[in-house]
Amino acid sequence: MRTWKSVLVVAASAASIALAPMAASAESATLKTAKDRGTLLCSGHNGSYFGFVEVNDKNEWKGLDIDLCRALAIAVLGSQDKVQIVPLSWAQRFPALQSGDVDVVIKATGWTMGRDTELGLQFSLPYFFGGAQIMVRKELDITTAEGLDGGTVCVAAGTTIERIVADHLKTIGIEHKMVSYEKTAEVISGYTSGRCDAYAAWGPNLAVLRATQIDAPDEHVILEDKLSSEPIAAAMRQGDDEWVDIVNWMLAALIKAEELGVTSANVEEMTANPPNPTVARHLGVDAGMGERLGLRDTWAREMITAMGNFGEIYERNLGQGSPYKLDRGLNNLWSNGGVLYAPILD
Amino acid sequence: MAAPPTMSRLEWLRHELTRRAFATPADTAITLAVAAILAWLIWLDLDWAVVRAVWSAEAVDTCRAKDAGACWSVIAARHRLILFGLYPYEEHWRSTLACGAIIATVVLSCIPWFWALRRLATLWVTGFAGYFLLMEGSPIGLTQVTTDQWGGLSLTLFLFASVVLLGMPMGLGLALMRRSSLPLVQLVASLVIDFIRSLPLLTTLFTAAVVVPILLPDWLQGDKIWRVIIAFALFFACYQAEVFRGGFQAIPKGQFEAGQAMGLGYWRVLALIALPQVFRNALPSTINMVVITFKETAIVVIIGFFDILASANAAFGTGDWAPYYMEVYVFVGLIYWGFIFSLGQYGEYLKDRMAVARH
Repeated sequence: MRTWKSVLVVAASAASIALAPMAASAESATLKTAKDRGTLLCSGHNGSYFGFVEVNDKNEWKGLDIDLCRALAIAVLGSQDKVQIVPLSWAQRFPALQSGDVDVVIKATGWTMGRDTELGLQFSLPYFFGGAQIMVRKELDITTAEGLDGGTVCVAAGTTIERIVADHLKTIGIEHKMVSYEKTAEVISGYTSGRCDAYAAWGPNLAVLRATQIDAPDEHVILEDKLSSEPIAAAMRQGDDEWVDIVNWMLAALIKAEELGVTSANVEEMTANPPNPTVARHLGVDAGMGERLGLRDTWAREMITAMGNFGEIYERNLGQGSPYKLDRGLNNLWSNGGVLYAPILD
Repeated sequence: MAAPPTMSRLEWLRHELTRRAFATPADTAITLAVAAILAWLIWLDLDWAVVRAVWSAEAVDTCRAKDAGACWSVIAARHRLILFGLYPYEEHWRSTLACGAIIATVVLSCIPWFWALRRLATLWVTGFAGYFLLMEGSPIGLTQVTTDQWGGLSLTLFLFASVVLLGMPMGLGLALMRRSSLPLVQLVASLVIDFIRSLPLLTTLFTAAVVVPILLPDWLQGDKIWRVIIAFALFFACYQAEVFRGGFQAIPKGQFEAGQAMGLGYWRVLALIALPQVFRNALPSTINMVVITFKETAIVVIIGFFDILASANAAFGTGDWAPYYMEVYVFVGLIYWGFIFSLGQYGEYLKDRMAVARH
């Protein structure tokens, strides 16, 4: 009996070793479609979503999510111009993905169980973390939600934020009143007119609104309480594992590049004299990055040359290089106090 | 109330004012108070929109000044985004001309000289082909711009014109089917009309844009914009069919019977007796439908089209311009108002003209 089992185990592992190269070289169906088409179809927005998806004065897309789409286009098709951004509403993004209108949804999309299971999606590594946060006027002189007892909180109606904030305040035993408005502009005027003591929203949005839509941003503080942390990830159709691999390693390569200190400024020099074997492989000086994904060995180098590493993309769209000046916070590398990490590039 | 012929307009106005607004001291007080409040409100708006407004596109920072009024700089800097959406920057002249082609087509269709089947057909084919060739570009050797990059005002106008021009004949067809004496034809028309009218427009468009690609094979799908136009036109047609039906029902049955007694066939009774009256009876509701449709085109933003409202949203959706959404909405509102007011005025003109025809 025992011998039988070990024979089986050995046979199974032998088979898996024999089959492994075959599995790795199977080309992703989505990749093949994109190559045949000559463009990658990526999600845009029907309007603008601060920092993530915007349109510049030349009627061109820009933003964190758009840059990730471009990076993916470089990885799979070799040029950032080979991406076509398809404007999609929030409600439309998943049906559009299922029907093949887009190859991937990179659109400030939270990774939830319902989407992962019932909607038949697959999610990539999270590339952004944001959660509900609360802003108050500085004159209240509080730093945590403990100080909000008896206060009024303004939120946008119909979002998860409303429930998260109510739960949190109830848990820590704070009496409060909740006022919900239909539109962001109404929440802002409710807050600035003094109707509410606090303004609760998705953290990154809150910071952006404070920076751009409130007269004296310095007179408002965002409380330390982190009420939730929603991982934002790229969404793909279920069933094309090789495509998920490509998107995952695209994100990993951008994050890893930051960790390795490779930037768009020094990538050429690093390629000429790689400081260590990891960088050499990362930049395609040594083989290894491409074949396993069905891509070119130099895809990560090309991507970083054009778009920069993850840190550069962040700073350009949300951070110090943008009007929003959003701190990295959670979205820093693990080694700098954040939660972003890349799997091992072996 | 029209001025009596013995008075000039000005005299009549003064007469009416003294009679209605300044008859008693209490009336005078109320009139003055209301006038003062109105003047104050108008001054507030003017002060914001003109006096303290910032006009130059370069000076984003001057808009941030504490006492700055409206920041029209946002329009100066972003109007091309609002008008043309995602259309490539260097090719905007094409979008401008295409807009012109659609407006010209609609305006010319409103002129009675064109109201003959052949002239109208020629005009529409020329107008729409012109729009398509300019916007798409590849058949006439320009850089190809695919339909998903069309946007802004030119997309809104195109959607509106296509929906009305396709929907109007479809609506007439459905109305005739519903009046048919063949039970099967009548049943089909009733089912289609009642089914589509009981669905919200949003559902119909969402189905055409998002669900159809899942259900149909690739070669049957066509481009998203055409699917949406057809679905929207069908929706319009179902409502318009009921408007036409009302127009038919207002005609005394005796007229049809008289036509038949004269030996006229179905089509000639229709063309010579019924339709001229149907159009006249249905005119006010038709103008209403057309105006509503113009405004409803904004709903396509939900299925990812960059119509003028979506591009307006994108125009203020960036760090520098985020606080100035009011200015952008005022600008877009004026554009909508311009078109809809013209449509309304045209409706008035038609009504007068038809009233003349009646006598």
